[in-house]
Amino acid sequence: MIGVLAQQPVIPKFERASECIRENHTFCAAWFKDNFDRVFEPRIVEHIELTLMAVGIGFVLSFGAALLAYNRGWFERSFAFFAAFLYTVPSIAFFQLMVPITGLTRTSAEIALVSYTLLILFRNTLTGLQEVPEDARMAARAMGLTPRQTLWRVELPLALPAIMAGIRIATVMTISLATVAAFIGVGGLGQPIFNAIQSGFKTQFVAAGVLAVLLALIADVLLVLLQRFIAPWTRARRA
Amino acid sequence: MGTFVDALQFIVDNPGLLWDKTVETLLLSGAALGVAMALAIPLGVWLGHIHGGSFIAINASNVGRALPSLALISIGLALLGVGFLNVMVALVILAAPVMLTNAYVAVEQVDPDAVRAARAMGMRPTQVLWRVELPLALPLMFAGIRTAAVYVVATTPLAALAGGEGLGDIIVNQSTYGIEGVVGASIVIAALAFATDGVFSLIQRLVTPRGLRRRGKERIVEPSVEPVGAG
Amino acid sequence: MTLSKSQSRLLALLAALLATGFLLAACGGDDDDNGGGGGGGGGGQEASSDQPGKGKPTVTLGTKDFTEEFVLGELYKQALEAKGYTVKLKKNIGSTEIIDKALTSDQIDGYPEYLGVSVAVVARKDIIPKSDQQTYDLAKQFYEGRGQVISQQTPFFDVDAIATTKDTADKNGLKTVADLKKLGKFTVGARPEFKSRFQGLKGMQSEYGLTDAQFKQLALGIQYQALDNGDVDSANVFSTDAQLASGKYTVLEDPKGIFGYQHVAMVMNKDKYEALGGQQFFDVVDSVSKLLTNDAMITMNKAVAIDKQDEAEVAKSFLQANNLL
Repeated sequence: MIGVLAQQPVIPKFERASECIRENHTFCAAWFKDNFDRVFEPRIVEHIELTLMAVGIGFVLSFGAALLAYNRGWFERSFAFFAAFLYTVPSIAFFQLMVPITGLTRTSAEIALVSYTLLILFRNTLTGLQEVPEDARMAARAMGLTPRQTLWRVELPLALPAIMAGIRIATVMTISLATVAAFIGVGGLGQPIFNAIQSGFKTQFVAAGVLAVLLALIADVLLVLLQRFIAPWTRARRA
Repeated sequence: MGTFVDALQFIVDNPGLLWDKTVETLLLSGAALGVAMALAIPLGVWLGHIHGGSFIAINASNVGRALPSLALISIGLALLGVGFLNVMVALVILAAPVMLTNAYVAVEQVDPDAVRAARAMGMRPTQVLWRVELPLALPLMFAGIRTAAVYVVATTPLAALAGGEGLGDIIVNQSTYGIEGVVGASIVIAALAFATDGVFSLIQRLVTPRGLRRRGKERIVEPSVEPVGAG
Repeated sequence: MTLSKSQSRLLALLAALLATGFLLAACGGDDDDNGGGGGGGGGGQEASSDQPGKGKPTVTLGTKDFTEEFVLGELYKQALEAKGYTVKLKKNIGSTEIIDKALTSDQIDGYPEYLGVSVAVVARKDIIPKSDQQTYDLAKQFYEGRGQVISQQTPFFDVDAIATTKDTADKNGLKTVADLKKLGKFTVGARPEFKSRFQGLKGMQSEYGLTDAQFKQLALGIQYQALDNGDVDSANVFSTDAQLASGKYTVLEDPKGIFGYQHVAMVMNKDKYEALGGQQFFDVVDSVSKLLTNDAMITMNKAVAIDKQDEAEVAKSFLQANNLL
């Protein structure tokens, strides 16, 4: 006899789904409502975590790099080149590439996501600093501020609109890319999408897709509001 | 490092496959760009010409940029099913907004003096549009098309998930082509994106009226460049 | 220069962002979902005979990327947890080629595999096994050579098959895969790896002479949609697919057996297997496996694929009904 001896199992009766589900209609609102907290809510939380972490780390790195580049011109080219290079890797490939190195983990996803934020955050921070009017700098010096004081009290505040614009772009971009991260199984709203690609479950396609779009749009609006609150003078400028 | 070498080897070993997939990618991107242009440019130009709908026109690119591509493809999979149409629609939705915004801004911000002068010369509104506003708007308009083109090319790998063809087929199918295939196809995609950027920046320069070329540097507001890797 | 207000706002913002980044970096860590923290049965530590998993290292199981594997993953995970094991389940890793790599690189410790696939795809043997016993032996031998072990195989088998719509089959008199010739030039929709496998397009071409078969790539799961829409003439399906129960499709017979014998067994890395208690561990696995008949599997697949129930819940009900929880 091969394998195991078959033992007649007790097969439980499972509930039949609604007509809408069985026929796989475009969107079954009842199912969505009933399963939101199981299928989508944890994924939304993961998505926000993935995004915040990537933008947070990306900002810290880019900010440091921009400050360095601001003072040392040679660094600007090399870092910009490095960031631009990372930027060109198709995301769905980037995630797969990290797997042999850091495994099917969130670290893999974050390395890729952070990499994509670098170019925009670096460039916007640096451009913001470089576009500070010479007058403002001279005025600061005339007032007796040290270079460090000038940076923190004059240059950075003036660069803030550009920095914020960078954060905004980087955030919505990361939300978009984080959906792809589910390709290596790290959660987020891409997970129900990839599951639906396998099951053909339309309600899940629509729900996950719309939720991801909403998340991105809400983040975009929130960041615009934040931008206006922190740097009210930005409004005059065209985004 | 070894992977990278293997990837180059993959490119050398599979010129036929990569060529076919590249052609598919270009056809898909070209079709999506064409449709997006046909929709967005006339609308943007018209809004710019009548100086109306600024809220929509300006914010279109912000919204477009925020839309997660995979989410669009996902919704499309439910509504349109697998295949070319779904992928096309998703790519058009991603490409059109930035074109719309740039076309609008390009026409809208044409020097009012130039328009007034044209009118004073007795030009009719359509003549003003065709002979003054459009030529002056072309550079910025093409900047939008360029951004969209790069974005579309870079997004095509995702399209493979929805039955779209092209290099993405290789990138999402590590099981068939191996990691070296994934990287190899990625290199080709990245190269295509760069080439697209190059070609469109060349066109952009060519369509810039001679009088604007020097001054142009200051006048042209570069749109925020979209990630090549966004796909 | 009245920047003091905005300056403080800036500093606040930067501080907040820095904090967010670092905090998340610090505590976000690597932990995946599904981390089966508590484990099952709170029955205290004394019952070691009933809880062979107590004190054993965490075991990470993987699954491939389709419904049946999700269900299998949940079944094994929950049954093991009930015996005190700590199980981390990574669902949806990918096709055979990818999950095998995850196994050999220790990203997972084991996963349920179809043994015919093991022989043809993992071991890359070009022979067609004549029976399920031969398939099992070949697979076992191969895995042992690589330092891996396999559990007993399940009673159910889930074999690749070619299906058409019932209409197409009736209209053209299609009974076996060979009959596809009658269609002239025709398309086969399948997941990408099907194209290059002998248990796939290659076998169809070489064994059935179907040289006019045109491959059309489909993501797993949407074959039925593609058949319905007429996007493809025929499609690669699994014999336990819930959709086949609808009667809308005809599964073509495979008289030459190119799709092989596909019972499932758990493949494990041997060192981890030993660390988990060896046979003790597989006893739990086998206690689940032996219940998995074709009927049981199709019913559970259907509950998940058609009725959209949570695979964890479906697995739980099944295990409870059979006193394994």
